[in-house]
Amino acid sequence: MRNSVASKIKEIAKVDESLFVIAGDAGLGVWDDFKESKQFINPGVNEQLDIGFGAGLSLMGHKVIYYNIAPFVIMRPYEFVRNDICYQELPMILIGTGSGITYAPAGVTHYVVEDITLASTMPNLDIFSPADPVEAVECFNYAYKSKNPSYIRIAKNGESKIHKDKIDITKPIFLNKSDSKNILLLHGSISDEVSKILEIVDINIVSVPMLTSKFDYDKFLDDFTYIFTLEEHFINGGFGTMLRDKVDKKIHKFGLPNEYIHKIGNRDFLREYYKIDGKNIGLKIKDKLCLK
Amino acid sequence: MKQLATNIRKNILHIANLAGSPHIGSALSCTDILTTLYFDVLKLEDYENRDLFILSKAHSAMALYATLHEKGLLSKEDMQGYYQNDGTLPAHTDKDTNPYIEISAGSLGHGLPIACGMAHSLKLKNSDRKVFVLMGDGESQEGSVWEAAMLAPHLELNNLTVFIDRNNLQGYGRADELLSYEPIDKKFEAFNWEVLRVNGHDYDAIKKAVDFKTNKPKMIICDTIKGKGVDFMEDKLIWHYYIVTDEIKNDALKCLGCQDEK
Repeated sequence: MRNSVASKIKEIAKVDESLFVIAGDAGLGVWDDFKESKQFINPGVNEQLDIGFGAGLSLMGHKVIYYNIAPFVIMRPYEFVRNDICYQELPMILIGTGSGITYAPAGVTHYVVEDITLASTMPNLDIFSPADPVEAVECFNYAYKSKNPSYIRIAKNGESKIHKDKIDITKPIFLNKSDSKNILLLHGSISDEVSKILEIVDINIVSVPMLTSKFDYDKFLDDFTYIFTLEEHFINGGFGTMLRDKVDKKIHKFGLPNEYIHKIGNRDFLREYYKIDGKNIGLKIKDKLCLK
Repeated sequence: MKQLATNIRKNILHIANLAGSPHIGSALSCTDILTTLYFDVLKLEDYENRDLFILSKAHSAMALYATLHEKGLLSKEDMQGYYQNDGTLPAHTDKDTNPYIEISAGSLGHGLPIACGMAHSLKLKNSDRKVFVLMGDGESQEGSVWEAAMLAPHLELNNLTVFIDRNNLQGYGRADELLSYEPIDKKFEAFNWEVLRVNGHDYDAIKKAVDFKTNKPKMIICDTIKGKGVDFMEDKLIWHYYIVTDEIKNDALKCLGCQDEK
C-alpha cells in the first residue's frame, strides 16, 4: 500500500508545485527517487516539529503530507495535530505506516492500536483505513481534494490487490455478497482475512475504508440481522465504536482486547493469539449465529 | 515611540480590567518589542505580501491586541470584546478573529516550528517577505523549540527573526531557579544562529538588532522586566496571574502618567 500511495504522491507532485512531503526519518525505499526534490524534506526525528513545520507550510498554501510510522503520526505529537492542524482547519494529510500490529514484533513502541481513538477526538479529522493498494490510493485521492485534515492508516508494502474495478471509498465496498442476512464490516488491512472467514461461515463482508456523515449507515444496515465489525485496533474506541455511535443498531465488535501486548510474535501470530484471525473470527460469528 | 507604547500599555490595562483576566505582567513585558515591530519594522501595507508576526507566547495576547488597535488594525469594539462572554478575542490567539493574527496559539513551543514552515515556504517561493516570532523565556524549556532551533539554520532561514522576552519570571517561579535556560545566547550560537542581546525596552537597540545583516536565522534575546511601566508590578511573580481591579488599574495608569478614560 505505501508504495502505491507514494507513487501517486510523486505523480501529483510533478503537476502541483504546492504539494510538499515531510518524512519523519522514515521511507527507505519509498522516497529514494524523490528525496532530493524541493518538495520533500526529512527533518530527522522530531515529530512535534514535523507537525508544526507542516502547519506553517500549510498556512502558506502548501498541500502538506506528513509520512511516518503510525505511532509517531498521531500519538506522539497529538497536541500539535490538535492545535496546529485540526483547530486551524488545515487540509494536511497524515500518513501512518505499520497500522495496527503490522510491526508487532518490534514491540509496543512501534505498533499502534489506539490511534483511531485518539484521531476520533478531533472533530474534523477524516480517518481512513484502506484494505488494499487500490483503496489506499483512492483514500489519498479523497484526502488530496479534501479541505479537511486527513489521517490515512496503511499497513506496509506488497499487499495483494483485492479490487479490480473502480471503487467508491465513501460507501461500504462488498468483498463478498451472500444470501445471508448477516454482515461483517472490516476496517483496514485485516481485510486479508476474508477468505479464511468465508471458509468457516457464509456472510456478507464489506470493507469500510472511512466513515462519513454523507452516507446513511442505518439505512444500509437495515437489511441485515446480525452486524459484526472487525479491526486491528483496541476493541474499545476504534472503528466499531465509531460505527456504533453513528447507528441505532446492535453492533458486535471484534478487535484487540484493551491490554498491552507483551506477547512476542509477528502480526499473523498475534492475530491468532488474540483470536482475530480469519478462522477464529469465522468460528465466533458462527457461534453467535448458532450455526452448526 | 514611547508615547505609542504608553498608549498600548494603557489599553492593556483597560482590557485586563474589563476582562478580569491574568497575564498583565507578561503583556507589559513585551510591549516595547511589539511597539518597535509594528511601528518600525513590519511591512504590512500590502496585505498579500505582508511580513508575518507569530506571537508564540500567546498568553501575552493583550499586548498584541492593544498594539493592533494602536496600529489601526483592530477596532476598539473588538479590542474591548477581549475575554468577554460572546466576545471577540480569546485570552490566547485564534487566527480567525483578525486577519493580522497569523496563527492560533497559546500552548508554548508551537510558534517556532510553525514559523520555520512559513519561512521555508517563502524561501521556496523566492519571496522577500520576512517572518518574526516572539517567544517567552520560559517557553525555551519546551523541547519543540530546540527541534526547530536545529532546523532553522539547517534550512538557512535568514528570513526568520526570533525575539525572546527574557524577563526571568515564568508562571510559578524564576527560570534560573526552576530549570535554567542560560546561557541561552551561547546555546543558540552553538545551534548556528546569529544571536544578539539587547535591552528589550530600548526601541533603538531592538531596531538596530533587527537591521543587523546576517545570512543566518536571527535570535534577538531581549532582556526585559515583567510588568514594565507599572512600578508596583515590575519583576513581581504575582502579576503573571493576578487580575487588574478598578483600584489597581487607576494606580497603574498613574504610574504611566495617564488618566482613566473609559
